Amino acid sequence: MDMKRDYYEDIQLLDSKVLWFWFIMLIAALGVFPFLSPNYYIYMANYMAINVIVTVGLNILVGYTGQISLGHAGFFAIGAYGTVLLMSYLHVPFFLALVAAAFIAAFFGFVLGLPALRLEGPYLAIATLGFGMAITQVIGRWQVFGGRMGMEAPPLTLFGVNLETDFQRYFLIIPVTFFMTWAARNLMKTRVGRAFIAIRDSDIAAETMGVNLTLYKTLSFAVSAFYTGIAGGLFAFLLGFINPSTFNFFLSIYFLAFVIVGGIGSIFGSIMGGVVMTFLLLELDKIQEISFLGIGQMLAAFSERWMTLVGLPNIASIIFGLIIILLVVFEPLGLYGFWIRTKIYWKTWPF
Amino acid sequence: MFLQLIMSGLSFGSLYALIALAMVIIYKTSEVPNFGQGEMAMISTFVAYTLLVTYQYSYAVSFVGALLFAAVLGVFLEFVFLRRAKDPNVLSLILITLGFEMVLYGLASWKWGADQRDLPFPVSDFDTVSLGPAVVSYLNIATLLITLVLMFFLFLFFKYTKVGIAMKATQQNAMAARINGIRTNRILSITWAMSSLIGAVAGILLAPIATLDPNLMLDPLLKGFSSAVLGGMTTLVGAALGGYILGIIENLFGGYVSLEFKSIVAFGIIVLVLCFKPSGLFARHYVRKV
Amino acid sequence: MAGDILFSVDELSISFGGLVAVDRVSFNLEKGAIFSIIGPNGAGKTTIFNCINGLYKPDSGVITFKGEEITGLAPHRIARKGIARTFQNIELFANMTTMENLMLGRHIHMKTGIWTGATFFRRGSRAAQDEIRHRERVERIIDLLDLQAARNQFVGALPYGTQKLVELGRALALEPELLLLDEPSAGMNSEEKQDLIFWIKDIQDELGMSILLIEHDMKMVMDISDRILAINFGKPIVEGLPEEVQKHPEVLKAYLGEDESFDSAA
Repeated sequence: MDMKRDYYEDIQLLDSKVLWFWFIMLIAALGVFPFLSPNYYIYMANYMAINVIVTVGLNILVGYTGQISLGHAGFFAIGAYGTVLLMSYLHVPFFLALVAAAFIAAFFGFVLGLPALRLEGPYLAIATLGFGMAITQVIGRWQVFGGRMGMEAPPLTLFGVNLETDFQRYFLIIPVTFFMTWAARNLMKTRVGRAFIAIRDSDIAAETMGVNLTLYKTLSFAVSAFYTGIAGGLFAFLLGFINPSTFNFFLSIYFLAFVIVGGIGSIFGSIMGGVVMTFLLLELDKIQEISFLGIGQMLAAFSERWMTLVGLPNIASIIFGLIIILLVVFEPLGLYGFWIRTKIYWKTWPF
Repeated sequence: MFLQLIMSGLSFGSLYALIALAMVIIYKTSEVPNFGQGEMAMISTFVAYTLLVTYQYSYAVSFVGALLFAAVLGVFLEFVFLRRAKDPNVLSLILITLGFEMVLYGLASWKWGADQRDLPFPVSDFDTVSLGPAVVSYLNIATLLITLVLMFFLFLFFKYTKVGIAMKATQQNAMAARINGIRTNRILSITWAMSSLIGAVAGILLAPIATLDPNLMLDPLLKGFSSAVLGGMTTLVGAALGGYILGIIENLFGGYVSLEFKSIVAFGIIVLVLCFKPSGLFARHYVRKV
Repeated sequence: MAGDILFSVDELSISFGGLVAVDRVSFNLEKGAIFSIIGPNGAGKTTIFNCINGLYKPDSGVITFKGEEITGLAPHRIARKGIARTFQNIELFANMTTMENLMLGRHIHMKTGIWTGATFFRRGSRAAQDEIRHRERVERIIDLLDLQAARNQFVGALPYGTQKLVELGRALALEPELLLLDEPSAGMNSEEKQDLIFWIKDIQDELGMSILLIEHDMKMVMDISDRILAINFGKPIVEGLPEEVQKHPEVLKAYLGEDESFDSAA
């Protein structure tokens, strides 16, 4: 891999035959998967894919540009509500509505990026947090958005086909995720992405080298919000129903957790983070049903005796919190860090 | 009407100010914006509830017990998790405390479920006294008084006690403090204990007027944090003033403009203020040198 | 040597909360020349640099570059005019490789935007072409500064002297007409300093860049400077040819103490 013959190989996605092989295998596996799998796992795959888009988008902001956002649930909500509203009220076709809603999210990202220019650390955290809270409050109180009751997603028609099942939606969501991830990876390898990373590492040096800080910081917010908006739009159809309580403060933290677990500043890490954490999120929600070693029953019995049974699913929150803390303390590069170390381990084995 | 709104604004402002103070004390010594502050207070309030209602202890025993618990909890979290982080940046510090938040929230929801409870309190929220045209409950007055007394003691503490001065030294230059024989690690523990304790006072004062459930401190934490940011994360007086300013503005907005969007206005103000004063109203802005 | 004036600073002043850091400093830089600013620590040298490339806004004074006033412009605009700099305490992009650091230096010359950057898929795509073209330019700088071994390493892990060179390379990649070097030799050993002098000469002669230099190594300053400005407490003491500045009594006093001369110090 070190023998590069020309500069294109520096930025090429797949620069060896081995990688091409695995890439084709991955495509094949993704293509075959829904035909072999029970519906629940297709639903899970869709969910994972959507969260991968969010994680990639948030990583562009947090990991690559070094900003912080505790308000991404807001962009997610804008994407979801935007798509649904445009389709229901204005009868805009799905793809157009999705992209338009994502652009609206991007616009809000841009606006939020403006105060963010002068803010750092806790100040930026509170500003973005306030933004996320404000969005949820507004959509919860304005009747146009269905208020507290929420809204139903309209029928999803694409090229004349009505996508009603998870199986059908899989073939929409996976390609979109694929495209978005690929685009993010390319973006980070070229001029704009480099400017983002430069700002993260030393904003002063970046601006003296000709990077327009105002432009690129707000751009990073906008791109990140765009990704989250797209994910939100798809999410509305995954659930078929959206209401404001879905897009709360905790969702923003979960998104951050995805990024941290996957690996700050890594697209591949974002994919791992989105997939693994979505799995945990969905599985921990029904922790009582785990029959393995009787864990579910034991937990239920423990809860009855010492805690409360209704509160049991909150274990998810505890485990997530612990994962975040432990990773930040012991493995700041997340799963990506693990992956790199395993790779090195095998390369140099048995030394 | 106006005076009424101001009075209840002061009461809520006191709670925001307490939380803001709790956060600023930690932020100043270790640059950690503690997002777990709210849940630490919430859990401590539940401890007070359990002692009081489940075990039928007296008010004094229960409240002192809860405050002790809060102090221990603060020391525990700092010692077990934060101190382990190698070379942390702001983002990882924020994340660790968000982790606390989730763990504590999960624990409380698991232990106490989603039931809404009432925390009994020796001072009534229903008996009122008229101050001119405004009607104020005894609890409101108690809240205001307790907060002011607490602040006064904090002021004395930082000004005159040896530990307080050592804390100030650690805040300004940890390395120099260590060289001069201050055990900065111990100072950190004390800081977290104090901060957690102040937060718990806010929780116990809030619970009687709100309902006690795991969501108790969610909104107050954000408001308290906003107050701290509004005043400036590095000044105790600023943070306390920020709390009162926020409490009053929020109440006036709720009374005269729109009750519905009352809680949004807080964040609107924060963002606006930060646009012009990026380090808050009362703190000096620091610019990195090259 | 009366060349064209490329760059001039006129009556530049800035103060921070009552402390006057730079007090009515003026000088001119001829095209292709090396101009050094010397003075004790805290004399305000770096502050002058920070004013020139827009990090600080001066209280008064005019900075002119190529006949155009650039006072108070944003740093990225000044970079676009053709002024690049290095920093006293290295300001590299630590988590990027040497190559990427230098590529960032090409930022203002490249064209790739969000859409073209995100969607390139083959060698012929516009973004890929853009990358390839500029990587070739950067490779030449890597050759010039002997940085091949560090090409694909993260700069945060490189030795100090090499980091200084990468920073120089990044500034060169911008292809500036005026290069500001803030203590380039600090922390280098004497061998590295020799190389550095050689490179600075090269940059002047072959790349035709004009150089504004802050440096503490007097031997180096006297060797390579065309003109020198000495300042102390933000005030200019003397400006002139190296031999003139060297003999000026106030310079000797401010810089070396009463009874010494540069020969014994160097």
